[in-house]
Amino acid sequence: MTYFADKHPLLADIFSRYPDSPQGRRSALMPLLREVQNAEGFVSEARMREIADLCGTTATEVRSVMSFYSTYHTLPTGRYHLQVCSTLMCALAGSDELWDHLVSVLDVQPGDVSADGRFSVQKVECLGSCGTAPVVQLGDEGYYENVTRQKCDRLIAALRQDAPPPPDNPVPVTVREDGRQMTAAGERVGASIHDRKPLPAGGDR
Amino acid sequence: MKVTIDGIPVDLPAGTSALDAVFHAGRDVPYFCAHPYLSPVGACRMCLVEAGTPRKGKDGAFELDEATGQPKIFWMPKPMASCTLQATEGMHIRTAKTSDVVAKAQAGMMEFTLLNHPLDCPTCDKGGACELQDRAFEYGYGASRYGFDRRHADKHYALSDFIILDQERCIHCKRCVRYFEEVPGQEVLDFIERGGHTFIDTEEGGLPVGFQGNIADICPVGALLDNVARFRGRNWEYDHTPTTCTLCPVGCSITVDARNGRLERVVAGEHRDVNEVWICDAGRFGHVFATEERLTVPLVRVGGELREATWDQAIEAMRQGFSGHGSNVGLYLSADSTLEEGAALVALAEAVGTPSRDHWPRYPHTPMSTATLTDVATADALVVLGADLGEEAPVVELRILEALRGGLLPAEFAHGTAIADLRLTERPARTPEKLAVIGRESRLWRHAGLRVPAEGPDLLARLARPDTPDLQAALRLLEEAEKPVLILGADVLNGADTAFSAALSGLAGRVGAKVLVIPAGPNSRGLGGLNLVPGAGGLPYGRLGEVGAAFLSRLDPAAQGLPGRARGFTVVHDTHLTATAQGADVVLPAVTNYEKRGTTVNLEGRLLPLAQAPLRAGEGADLIRALVAVAEALGVRSPVRGLRGAQAWLEARYGLRLAELPAGGRLQPPRPPQDAATGLAHAPQLWKPRMLPRPERRGSGVPGREARAERWELPLAPAPQPGGDD
Repeated sequence: MTYFADKHPLLADIFSRYPDSPQGRRSALMPLLREVQNAEGFVSEARMREIADLCGTTATEVRSVMSFYSTYHTLPTGRYHLQVCSTLMCALAGSDELWDHLVSVLDVQPGDVSADGRFSVQKVECLGSCGTAPVVQLGDEGYYENVTRQKCDRLIAALRQDAPPPPDNPVPVTVREDGRQMTAAGERVGASIHDRKPLPAGGDR
Repeated sequence: MKVTIDGIPVDLPAGTSALDAVFHAGRDVPYFCAHPYLSPVGACRMCLVEAGTPRKGKDGAFELDEATGQPKIFWMPKPMASCTLQATEGMHIRTAKTSDVVAKAQAGMMEFTLLNHPLDCPTCDKGGACELQDRAFEYGYGASRYGFDRRHADKHYALSDFIILDQERCIHCKRCVRYFEEVPGQEVLDFIERGGHTFIDTEEGGLPVGFQGNIADICPVGALLDNVARFRGRNWEYDHTPTTCTLCPVGCSITVDARNGRLERVVAGEHRDVNEVWICDAGRFGHVFATEERLTVPLVRVGGELREATWDQAIEAMRQGFSGHGSNVGLYLSADSTLEEGAALVALAEAVGTPSRDHWPRYPHTPMSTATLTDVATADALVVLGADLGEEAPVVELRILEALRGGLLPAEFAHGTAIADLRLTERPARTPEKLAVIGRESRLWRHAGLRVPAEGPDLLARLARPDTPDLQAALRLLEEAEKPVLILGADVLNGADTAFSAALSGLAGRVGAKVLVIPAGPNSRGLGGLNLVPGAGGLPYGRLGEVGAAFLSRLDPAAQGLPGRARGFTVVHDTHLTATAQGADVVLPAVTNYEKRGTTVNLEGRLLPLAQAPLRAGEGADLIRALVAVAEALGVRSPVRGLRGAQAWLEARYGLRLAELPAGGRLQPPRPPQDAATGLAHAPQLWKPRMLPRPERRGSGVPGREARAERWELPLAPAPQPGGDD
């Protein structure tokens, strides 16, 4: 069963955002990857081939684009994907020790998923929350800040109960399905595909 | 357009890149990513120059330098990559020779390039012919400041059976990625990851066989290596012989690299009118038979089995065997033989008086080609009729794809083909609607705008009077184009006759199309015009079993399921002990086409020279010398007894002047081939079984894969890990 077999309206919507040409179809690569990753937690080789067929390109190209971005995963992720900031500020505040603690308590290494399917971990670069270092990001939900050993243990215990505590701060800017960016304060930034208007004839004077 | 490089004024056509301007002025600039037949992308940043242009003021006149009164040059603030910079009117360019800024920038870029490049030149196959090595010597600092460990990655990563990637050596010039996208149109190779971790890989489970070997030629470092030639020799040890490939009728320019009498490697040569710089995988990797299991001495059947003998003993055996057959002797040769060899065979046949002579493969009738490969590459409509180009003439496929991406032939300068042609772009727009393919399914299908599944010899008649909408569309494509080319292959030519030729020229004349006919054999276009078909009462190759005695040169009918012996006596002249040779009475050792001098005619009718590579062939003799022995056994004296004699014979009879053929050959419409029934259908096959490389067979003393596994692997031991460090 392919992922997009029963999602024709979604596909039509995604492809409608790009020119109806071979080059235009290729542009749909990123939203299709994001769609699969949001649903399955990662993009498998079979899905890469499927997306390649949809975009009229090859799985090699899909993998090339995917591998450029560190936030696309080729390996399965757990229900709670913990991203530990390991850039300078967090490192000074003890992110290395936090990482070691997390990895040994959860018994999981980057690329693995814990036996209960809950946890996967990843070291990431600066999350832009240096003032509250060290920081752990949970999936696309939000940041847990000033993560001490006790706070880390409480977080893990809550996640084991499938009751994640509310994040200290949501992820600052999220991209919604229609391509619009939304700040954590609920403010719209940037344009959406639905704002598109035909250009005035003869140019904008 | 006037451009000044390091103070040297040159006059250049508009659109020239700054890189070519520098070379045109006789100056040098290093580059890795630019390639004459690929789009310039500016990936390696080595070709930096300082560039500046004059500027016009508000009054429309050039702003003048107050000191000199000349137009003032406004220099760009930083060095520019010259491969993606277009030279413009009045531009001034400074190279490393006159600019310290450029010299320092290039040395700095070289340092960056070498940041992660391993220092394994002593064990690298590219050593001695490596662009990075040369350029580091010429433009680098000469000393390394890196005391730390470099990036480590897989050094023996097999992209396919033929190509091994050393990920550490790759400098990310992207030539191979662009090659696959732009030339064969297969997006099978790409950069994975980013930054210093970038490596090249495919997600398709290996590179497609067809044209993959070209990436080993264009790799500027030793990252992509030809696995057939890997570790077989150093570049300075090879004897380089530029010659012509005779595996198919295209006649690509190649360089044969031999070492100690063994053919180790074939690399592509440049011929702008034929193969540009690309060759097919069969031509590059399918050379192993020239070195493996060769026949080196004559064999004579004594008491039912073949025994090694001297040439004198073989001649004596032939004298006895031929006696009693009179002129009932059949002389047959392979259609990849040279024109000179064909002349020797015709001359002997005439001296003996036998009408049974033939070359194989050939068609009963071959229409004449009017198109050249350049016509194919610049055509605005192409119809391929009944041809599987992958089996018949692979490089024609590349020239067709060249036409589909615009048919841009690179400009030529005194320094050679333009190195950075700014008209070529990455991910070129293709026009598949210009190509219609009619016939069986083939590799070309996925590039064609119109695909018509059909087979049979009546395809031409059906195209001329289309009975389906698809064929009507194909005919309309030809009619509406200005420079259409019609390409014909085996499926229609097997049933060709003079009526077919008339219908073909009728159709071509009506739509104004040029015709490219793919002949059956590599040189059947040339041999066909030499009276090399059965005369009155003569027997064709397919009826070998009815001839009294026969001489076969490099033909193996027994392997095709045909009679492998003449009625009475059979002499086989071949490079290997083939199935036919095993059943013959006398076997004479032959030489391959890599070891011949002579002339071949390609599908356009271009005379192309063959040169002799120094390969160990024992007592092997080419056909001309073998026929001298046969003539002696038959008791006649042939007028052709050597290469010069054959060329003199060809000039006297047909006015063909082959002696002073230039290296690039000469386009000369050949004599129309003579018609004669063959009684056989020709099925084109590019890869012959003996061309497949098996490293164990190459006599290197390396035990086979099974033998190695048996000796070293204990039961239940883990499989050996690929990779490891040198």
